[in-house]
Amino acid sequence: MPVLMFNLALIWLALLLLATILLVIRARATMVRLLAADVLTLILVAVLVMFAQREGAAYYLDAALILALLSFIGVIAAGRYYRSGRPF
Amino acid sequence: MWRDILSGALIVVGLLIISLSVYGMLMMPDIYTSIHAASKAAILGLMPFLLAAMLTGNPAMITRALLIAVFLILTTPISAHIIGQAAYLTHEPMETEGAINESGQELSAASAAAKAGD
Repeated sequence: MPVLMFNLALIWLALLLLATILLVIRARATMVRLLAADVLTLILVAVLVMFAQREGAAYYLDAALILALLSFIGVIAAGRYYRSGRPF
Repeated sequence: MWRDILSGALIVVGLLIISLSVYGMLMMPDIYTSIHAASKAAILGLMPFLLAAMLTGNPAMITRALLIAVFLILTTPISAHIIGQAAYLTHEPMETEGAINESGQELSAASAAAKAGD
């Protein structure tokens, strides 16, 4: 029963990922695109948490933590580059 | 048994909030309004997933989920602030109906067109 639940949640999260990828592609402003990429990373973190619970393995959460960290650094660098022409 | 039911309920709540966040990002007309949907609602929707991971009782999973939760709560407002600041300083136009701009900066579509024409 729990495996079926996790699979259904993963299917729904995959649909949300698809919608967010479409948003990244079709956004009008650059900053909306960056914001959508940030949300994309958050949904990927949720997918990895679902995998960790389904397999009962904690190492998926390491990948989720590194993904969140890299997304933070990337958004900061891209935003500051867009604002002033240089990242720092 | 109660753990399965509780984690299932938490996962449903998280999916609902994340879906609302993506729907908000699809519907909001400009950057200043979609920041609300993207930063606050997405983090709020991720927290039930991490709580469900903590409910498994595995100590390795509990510590990692706690670490992810604390890190995301600390960093998401900062990245949303950076994105909003970049949009504001590069004169991103406000496109919401009846938007009131109380800052000193011109943020209407006409001023953006004038700036692009320079």
